[in-house]
Amino acid sequence: MQVPEELKYTESHEWIRVEGDQCRVGITEFAQSQLADLTFVDLPEVGSTVSAGDEVAVVESVKAASDVYSPLSGEILEVNEELSSSPERINEDSFGEGWLFVLKSANPSDLDELLDAEAYRALLPAE
Amino acid sequence: MTIARFCHFPEPLPYPEAVLLQERLVAARIRDEIPDTLLLLQHPPVITLGRRGRTEFVLADDEALQGAGIALHTSSRGGDVTYHAPGQWVLYPILKLGRTEMGTHGYLHALEEIALQTAGTFGIEAYRKEGKAGGWCDQGKFAAIGFKFTRWVTWHGMSLNVKVDLRGFDLIVGCGLRGERVCSFESVLGAGCPNMEPVAETLRRNCEKILERELVEVLEEDL
Repeated sequence: MQVPEELKYTESHEWIRVEGDQCRVGITEFAQSQLADLTFVDLPEVGSTVSAGDEVAVVESVKAASDVYSPLSGEILEVNEELSSSPERINEDSFGEGWLFVLKSANPSDLDELLDAEAYRALLPAE
Repeated sequence: MTIARFCHFPEPLPYPEAVLLQERLVAARIRDEIPDTLLLLQHPPVITLGRRGRTEFVLADDEALQGAGIALHTSSRGGDVTYHAPGQWVLYPILKLGRTEMGTHGYLHALEEIALQTAGTFGIEAYRKEGKAGGWCDQGKFAAIGFKFTRWVTWHGMSLNVKVDLRGFDLIVGCGLRGERVCSFESVLGAGCPNMEPVAETLRRNCEKILERELVEVLEEDL
């Protein structure tokens, strides 16, 4: 199971890529594999203010639905509109084209609370 | 092996009560106040729609449903429309997915495996159908799957037709799949169909093996 070193993670299987003062967020390869073929994604409103741990998105496959939680407090700057027509991007490239949203963290020191790749890998089933 | 609680309900549990119970258990499981818990039960007749279930797949109007004594509920689970009634086992595993997971195929695959192996025990040649999750055999689909993850705790789950009256399925387009037949152990095996209890016991054993958890029986009032 892929767990890129340069990303941060949450226990609820979101990943965070720090890009300057913004953070790009998606769900991990493990998360998409548990959901199987995704058919629908509910994304947050651009401009909305969210708190860490808020349910901000829902990803749904033929048989499963899962909430996605904001890893940080802040403002949603951008969402991946392409997912509404092509939710399978998440299955194909969960750490790349399958990103969900970009947020601006209200408090950059919150990043320290997130897991690094090694700590996240320890949460995954042994292969 | 991880220990999980297993509660086998003696009486059919109305769908809304089962949802409230699961919501309570999921919240407690997220906070690690309880271990993983599996519910095995039957529902009084009810049609349920998944999160994005489409009412066009319910073929009877409200009046007809009421006349037939069938409730209609929407549900937070994934998947489309399905039908539950006595004679069908419903399995609701409330599991925190973690490092001792059921192989690399994932939770959906594990639920399918429980359905397939249980059917196999009673002599039904059961298999997966690519792109159509559930339990299938030559006569049609005997197990339906739809679940939800909340903070990666699972709820909702799988239903398995043992001797449920299949006419209830005529009221829906099961899982939104037009032209697919629904079957039961009884419609496949005829007089050789097992009673509900041996199937429950086989389901319990298969859950133990496939979900890799040791199951401890608990009563409803101890949940």
